[in-house]
This record gives sequence, C-alpha cells and structure tokens, in this order.
Amino acid sequence: MTEPSVFVKPGKELSLSGSALIQLIQETLHRGAALKFQALGYSMSPFIRDGDVITISPLSDKPIRRGDVVALLSPARKKLIVHRVVYRNRQGDLYTAGDNLPQPDIAVSEKDILGRVTGVQRNGKNITVGLGAERLFIAVLTRHGLIYSLILPIMRHLRTFLRRPSRG
Amino acid sequence: MKSKISLNSVYAPSDDIVAREIEGEIIIVPITAGIGDMEDELFTLNETGRAIWQLLDGKTAVKDVVKKLTAEFEAPPDEIEKDVIGFVTELRKRKILVEAPDD
Repeated sequence: MTEPSVFVKPGKELSLSGSALIQLIQETLHRGAALKFQALGYSMSPFIRDGDVITISPLSDKPIRRGDVVALLSPARKKLIVHRVVYRNRQGDLYTAGDNLPQPDIAVSEKDILGRVTGVQRNGKNITVGLGAERLFIAVLTRHGLIYSLILPIMRHLRTFLRRPSRG
Repeated sequence: MKSKISLNSVYAPSDDIVAREIEGEIIIVPITAGIGDMEDELFTLNETGRAIWQLLDGKTAVKDVVKKLTAEFEAPPDEIEKDVIGFVTELRKRKILVEAPDD
C-alpha cells in the first residue's frame, strides 16, 4: 500500500470535464453553498466574458424571474450552460438565451435550473452590470437577438472608430 | 483540536467542504463563508487516500478502518495503522475532517 497523500492543487490547474463540473455544482448547491468558477465561452458577452469568474448560488425561496442569469443543464446535450431567462410561458416553461446569441434556447422547466448567478468578477473586480435592475431590459433585448445583431456590432464599430489615430 | 488521534475515535468529512469522486479522483472543495471557490486551492487524494477516505464515514472508528484496510491491502497492520493515523491527522489539520460526535 502506498502512503496516503493529500494533494493541494490550484483550482485553475484542475481540468475538469463539463460533467465533472456539473457534479460539483450540484453537490455544492445541494449543500446550500455557492460555487465560484471560471466561465468559458462567449455566449453571454458582453456581460459575462470568457474567463470571468462567476458565482452560482442556490435558488432558495426566491422565484426565478425574467432577467436572471442562471446555470442549467441543456436538455438536449446535458451540457452546463449559463444563460439569461428571457421569457416564461403560461405553462411555466422557461426560455433562456445567451446575450450574445441570435435566438433563445429551447424551453426548460424549473427543475433543469441548477442555480442563479449572483456574482461576476473580471480581473479581480466585481462586475454588477447585467445582474441588477437593468437585467429586465437586457432580457428583452436578448430575447429578440438585439444584443447579438445590433448592440455588439455598434460597440465593435465604436471601438474601431475610437482606436483610429486622429488625422492632422 | 485534540492533537492525538485515538483508535476509538470516529471521523467524518467536515461540513465546510464538498467532496465528490469524479473520474476516479476524490476532489475536495473547501467552503468558506458559504462559497466554494474553484479558483482557490482544492484538495485531491491519491488512491490510498481515497480508500481511507471512503471509510471515514462518521460511523467507522479508526481501528475498524485499519482492520478493513488490512484485509484489503497486503501490508502489515501496524504500517497501515501508522498511515491511517498520519492521514487523518493531515486531514484534520486542513479542516477537511472532524471528529464525529458521540451518539
């Protein structure tokens, strides 16, 4: 028998598969605790960017509302996604969407929702835009794909314009 | 915290951690102020550590953990006892393990 050992690893060095992360999220939330981890991907830009550290908290008694950013298992691929709730139909099904995607995801039920995003950090700083009262307005834009088709292209043009060296 | 591990004591995972066997590895995430931080330091156990961990269930005394491992591994009981006590001490030091209350 080899000697038992405990290894300390920086979380960033642990490359967990999607399903592994889902298991940890479920276990942590089930215990009533929140979990902080790095978000990957661009579907929630500009509010959550690739590499941002997000905090997922248990749902508790607060109902899920339009505009909330939630972590859920996509029914089709059993993949973890973090998207915004943009609509609830009369049957109670929820429609989520990535802020930077052209159209909403397929409907899910509340039981597919793992938790709610309650914090976003970027380069060590807390980012609150996208999680406050403005989230309702953002949900409307996201539902119609306006961030993807309108807002982000305008922001990209503005950035290019502002970066251009002035003549004369 | 008692410094010496008693063979009659029973230990269990702390409420301040989340531990999960994932892809053959035990991953332990400390919970601080209600948040498990995957960006911070996490703990993993080697294969022997995993075998001991799975027996530290809040019901099995250290001496019985040693007995079960002696049956499973081909090693002298006193060596296994030394390894188990060392391992439990390490986990207690890191606040991953706590002594279970007497029933």
